[in-house]
Amino acid sequence: MADGSPGAPASSAERASVLQGAPVLARSQSDYVAADEFHREGAGSPSRFSLHFTLCSRIVLSASASLSQRTRQTGGCDLCRGRVSQVPVESAGEGRVGRVVRVQSGGQVIMWGAVVGAALLGAIPGGAAGRSRVRLAAAQAPPSPSSGADLARATHALLAERCFACHAGSQQKGGLRLDSREGLLRGGDSGPALRSGDSAGSLLVRMVSGKEPGKRMPPTGELLSPRQVALLRAWIDQGAPAPAAGGSGPAGGGGPHWAFQPVHRLPLPVVRTPQWVRNPVDAFVLARLEKERVRPSPEADRPTLLRRLTLDLLGLLPTPEETAAFVADPRPDAYERQVDRLLASPHFGERWGRHWLDLARYGDSDGYEKDSPRPFAYVYRDWVIEALNRDLPFDQFTIEQLAGDLLPNTTVAQKIATGFHRNTLKNREGGVDQEEDRNKIAVDRTSTTGTVWLGLTLGCAECHSHKYDPISQREFYQFFAFFNNTDDVDISLAGEADRAAYQQALKKHQADAARLAEVLQAYERTELPARLADWEAGGAATPGVKPEAINRILATSRAVRTAEQQAMLLGFYQILDPGWKERKKAITDHGRQAPTDPGARAQTLQASAPRETRIHVRGDFLRKGDAVQPGTPAVLPAFPAGSARPTRLDLARWLVDPANPLTPRVTVNRVWQALLGAGLVNTPNDFGTRGELPTHPELLDWLAAAFAGRTASGRPAPAALNWSLKGLIRLVATAATYRQSSRHRPELHERDPKNQWLARQNRFRAEAEVVRDLNLAASGLLHRKIGGASIRPPLPADIAALGYAGSVKWPETQGPERHRRGMYIFYQRTVPYPQLTTFDAPDANTSCTRRERSNTPLQALTLLNDPVFVEAAQALGRRIVLEASGTVTDRVRFAFRSCLNREPTARETVRLQRLHGELMDGFRRDPQAAAKLAGTAPPAGVTMEEQAAWVALGRTLLNLDEFITRE
Amino acid sequence: MQQDWKHLPLTRRRVLGNAANAAGMAALATLLQQDGLLASDGSAGGRRTDPLAPRASAFAPKARNCIVIYLEGAPSQIDLFDPKPKLRELNGQKLPDSMTKDVRFAFIQKESAVLLGSPRTFSRHGQCGMELSDFLPHLGSCADDICLIRSMHTDAFNHHPGQLTMNCGVPVLGRPSMGAWLNYGLGSEARNLPGYVVLSAGRGTSGGASNWSSGFLPTTYQGVLFRGQGDPVLNLSNPVGLSRSLQRTSLDAIRDLNQERLDRIGDPEIESRIAAYELAFRMQAAAPELMDLSSESPATLEMYGIHRSETGMKASRGGGAGTFASFATNCLLARRLVERGVRFVSMFHASWDHHSELDTELEFCTRMADQPVAALLRDLKQRGLLDETIVLWASEFGRTPLGENRQGSAVNTGRDHHPFAFSLWLAGGGIRGGQVIGKTDEVGWNVVEEPIHVHDLHATLLHLFGFDHTRLTYRFQGRDFRLTDVGGSVVRKLLA
Repeated sequence: MADGSPGAPASSAERASVLQGAPVLARSQSDYVAADEFHREGAGSPSRFSLHFTLCSRIVLSASASLSQRTRQTGGCDLCRGRVSQVPVESAGEGRVGRVVRVQSGGQVIMWGAVVGAALLGAIPGGAAGRSRVRLAAAQAPPSPSSGADLARATHALLAERCFACHAGSQQKGGLRLDSREGLLRGGDSGPALRSGDSAGSLLVRMVSGKEPGKRMPPTGELLSPRQVALLRAWIDQGAPAPAAGGSGPAGGGGPHWAFQPVHRLPLPVVRTPQWVRNPVDAFVLARLEKERVRPSPEADRPTLLRRLTLDLLGLLPTPEETAAFVADPRPDAYERQVDRLLASPHFGERWGRHWLDLARYGDSDGYEKDSPRPFAYVYRDWVIEALNRDLPFDQFTIEQLAGDLLPNTTVAQKIATGFHRNTLKNREGGVDQEEDRNKIAVDRTSTTGTVWLGLTLGCAECHSHKYDPISQREFYQFFAFFNNTDDVDISLAGEADRAAYQQALKKHQADAARLAEVLQAYERTELPARLADWEAGGAATPGVKPEAINRILATSRAVRTAEQQAMLLGFYQILDPGWKERKKAITDHGRQAPTDPGARAQTLQASAPRETRIHVRGDFLRKGDAVQPGTPAVLPAFPAGSARPTRLDLARWLVDPANPLTPRVTVNRVWQALLGAGLVNTPNDFGTRGELPTHPELLDWLAAAFAGRTASGRPAPAALNWSLKGLIRLVATAATYRQSSRHRPELHERDPKNQWLARQNRFRAEAEVVRDLNLAASGLLHRKIGGASIRPPLPADIAALGYAGSVKWPETQGPERHRRGMYIFYQRTVPYPQLTTFDAPDANTSCTRRERSNTPLQALTLLNDPVFVEAAQALGRRIVLEASGTVTDRVRFAFRSCLNREPTARETVRLQRLHGELMDGFRRDPQAAAKLAGTAPPAGVTMEEQAAWVALGRTLLNLDEFITRE
Repeated sequence: MQQDWKHLPLTRRRVLGNAANAAGMAALATLLQQDGLLASDGSAGGRRTDPLAPRASAFAPKARNCIVIYLEGAPSQIDLFDPKPKLRELNGQKLPDSMTKDVRFAFIQKESAVLLGSPRTFSRHGQCGMELSDFLPHLGSCADDICLIRSMHTDAFNHHPGQLTMNCGVPVLGRPSMGAWLNYGLGSEARNLPGYVVLSAGRGTSGGASNWSSGFLPTTYQGVLFRGQGDPVLNLSNPVGLSRSLQRTSLDAIRDLNQERLDRIGDPEIESRIAAYELAFRMQAAAPELMDLSSESPATLEMYGIHRSETGMKASRGGGAGTFASFATNCLLARRLVERGVRFVSMFHASWDHHSELDTELEFCTRMADQPVAALLRDLKQRGLLDETIVLWASEFGRTPLGENRQGSAVNTGRDHHPFAFSLWLAGGGIRGGQVIGKTDEVGWNVVEEPIHVHDLHATLLHLFGFDHTRLTYRFQGRDFRLTDVGGSVVRKLLA
């Protein structure tokens, strides 16, 4: 604490804003306070102070270490295991919203606190000044920041974290489950876990605070912290309330978990500075900021804004000309015009298509040992790009990908879309149990659907009922049943005539195959036994040592051999028999001459003959449990009655039914994540009870309602987007929230370390593919072709050889296509392109809802030395000397603008000039090196040393943090 | 400690915040107390931003490093580690149907399969009298340092799923490997090299890079492949024409310009970027130095058999010409890596899948591996490194006591995949050597004493590194994942 006063706001500016307003009336109360350890991140309750306080029947006060020090001398607190003391509190006051308490020790007032709702908001050292400050703070406090609902939510999170592993869902050790209020009240083998309103008398509290002799919970590991115990106590003492909106489990008691509730249609909040609000998004964000008494950041400057927008919407750089035009555009809607321009670019579909491909676990090969290429996987990828470019509404986008094959009058394009679930891995290793692999694939399709549309961890229920969310194992297999009744098929995309010719050739080939097989069989029936007899008569004329079993059969006379023995012998002999081998070889050779399919094929699904779906006991597909019918989890809106046997198409329609609250919430959250760097729910793959709570729940719902076009009740939403992704992106990207500067605000590091209040934009490193695209774009090498077969940029031979037994072939793409965007790089699952992996591209094995953003030395080596990036530096060096005028400063500015889309500062210019001088010196000393680095002969009037120096300088710019960062 | 928390960059906050348990918190605490890559200069408020900064385990570790010698394909335990005289007696006979009734085989035709005895002779080695096959004479000389487990079993019976189980704990893609978990838990002691290095000899494994994946952990923790040709690390060399001094010149400018940006924007990620470039520069010197064996004595090179001849052997699966030399070199490099503080070294050699011609193929493979592996053990020991370095010889499963009788190949000259009972061994780093754990039945079909699942092995390894395997976890897709999935218990008998 800067000023040593516990509980004081973090900065004097903050304090000034808090300590204004009406005084607080006093009311007598006798109580005592125990000081808890202090902590920063309140369990679910926002605190305007950097400290967080919780109140129970005895006020549990979180205070600073210095307070603990003082109070520790006066005795032991049962809550805090002796670390701090109980102190009688005399007096206090009650105002409009809270009370003021005084903490006394040895006749001295050592501290003042303001109690609002269930939280003690502030604590300030004793003295008259402290009292008035704290009174004012209480009066200004927002109503009940730690309401019963907040307490309940925090409690649930705590129990989920520490207790549910043994006491929730199907896990009920000691007969106890803690994931429902009833369970808590009923208790387990040792009696009720809690007595509402009486924390001291609740077994749960005694166990977790280590007060039960010889017993403790959790049984191993760390005990709960004093703060956590205090939280539990506070919650119990308040009568174990249910949260007002959302929360589930013990805290919920009543209503379902927030994410399962219908999307609420909410009025826009009233804000004090409406002039900042550009659209409804901002109202919600600003309301929160005003509540925290934090001003939003100023708008970023125009060069930054255009670079941000171009990166976010296209994954590319603006040209210096585009930047200049935008900077000079005086029209009031200049920014919106840029957004619209970019949304209309055909590269939009590439950028947002790649986001979708992360979810679709798209790859260009099968995965597993053989990892055979899928030469036409790209057909699905191209469909995604095209669908996003024409802004196919998200409901239709969903239906076509999950069940395009089942639509009436289905088109080829819709079947291609259904290739979404053909992106699963396929194990073609010899000796694989095919049925096991088919089941694995169906399980993946089930889990992926749950992740992508519902934001649920359905996969957790594959082996047992979900431990935290209300999804039973039965429900998992009901969901699984939708995907259990499909077959994988590849459809030809070739023209009619080609297809007919192919069909004819195929027919002939199959007929020939049948004929050859008949020849072999005939031989096996007639000649082979005779030859075996000859061979036997000839004795041991065979090469090699015969296995023991064969020797034994041979020793048995033909007459007494069993049929099985004879068959085994025949099996052994046939591979020695030249006639058999010759006929067998004819079949194999013929098989290799199968006619090749004309043109591309699309991977898709089709309905199979109905398969019975049974629960896999403990997830083992060999252990069949009860039979189940296709269905959806009971906790979600009911599946529309109708067809006796619902299909994938019914499932797809259910997912985008207005009654389903999850699909729009989950989808807008991902869009938010892409544009702001983190989701409103920071666990984009888990909207269940273990997921994080939304930072702006009202905003999330407002966006969800707007996106889906109508609310659950069917009324039109505030601003109907009718599932338009472009509309949603436009809404967010034009908000003042989005347009803020991303400059860090040190004054908020402590109060909002994760920038959850959105008092600034986030800045983050570009994704793997975009890192490549940026380099190619800045250097002018980028080949902008959209769609088509994947490319294979140069890769060292020994890297390709890491695939199994040389099965991975990597024929390098030649010509300008080798400089296509990163998203077109052939994704070989067992040997992913190293640059992609190094920059956290997903592994394409499971659906990826949020990429990591690591920051490693291998990334540095890649950017510095990878041949592709060196090539980019060389091209950039050539551009600099060709396109910029002769002075070093001009060229520095040109290079800087080309890479970073802004003017260099004076310091930056000086530093780069110095670098240029150093590089020139170096290359003058070694002209041969200069020629090597330059790559090509310099243009007229430029020396080789100069060109090399500009290559090296360009390389420096391409390696700056800012270059690969979306500011 | 919590006061420092706020200074962590978001990325790492997520990493460690995700650890949501004592081990993770301990790691966080220690991390915050130690110097990261960055000397805190005050300007950035003393932030530490290196996710690989060394940190303490949950309790005192016995081991600091681990070398896994991974023989992909599944070496035949029956011909190397688990003598079965009875199997020899029963050669050519069928197994009772009751034993194979519910068994799935990859390739064996159940109806006509017969037992295949091993032609190998086994003899006793060391004071402990460990029985090993005549294919492993050099290893025999290290018997008293080795703990041989004959009672391993696993769940997968196909290669790639089996490799994933052994390396990552479960037979599915997308999970972190052992080395990734350990670097996540412990950070790296190596200042100029990655904390997790992968070496490969011969052809590729069926698992490829998934065997050293970081799965859902940040890629910082994935194994870095050191190559036998070209740059030891991909993209290690400067572009042609750019000297090391001009590289330094460039890096100085990158650092200064990044620092400018940091001062203006205040994002600690920029500090991480600066640090990453400095480590990259140091790696550019350290990796070639590591690969340069010129400082090794002739005696050492001789001991590892770097320059042995591999002529005169016929094997179609062995991995191609030069495999003897590259495997031996990898063994020596493993020691050099451990000497330089690299936490985890995985050596892969993929050619042990002997469905046919086992006698020849296995002889080739063991001739290749036996001498350098034994040399590695001796070398580590004489340098005092074996005490804190675990050496693990492992594969995905074992091979059947039944001969393989697939149509179309020479029947009963090889063995099929066998997940129910197989052998592997460990040495060093808190392992009690000179003992054999576990027992299989007379024909080597099932484990009859002291069964050890892969999860148990992993639990024990983590224990030796000072972790409770149930508490080294990472939250992903709503669940706390761990190396041992939902199983595993520490095998006390393994511990010294």
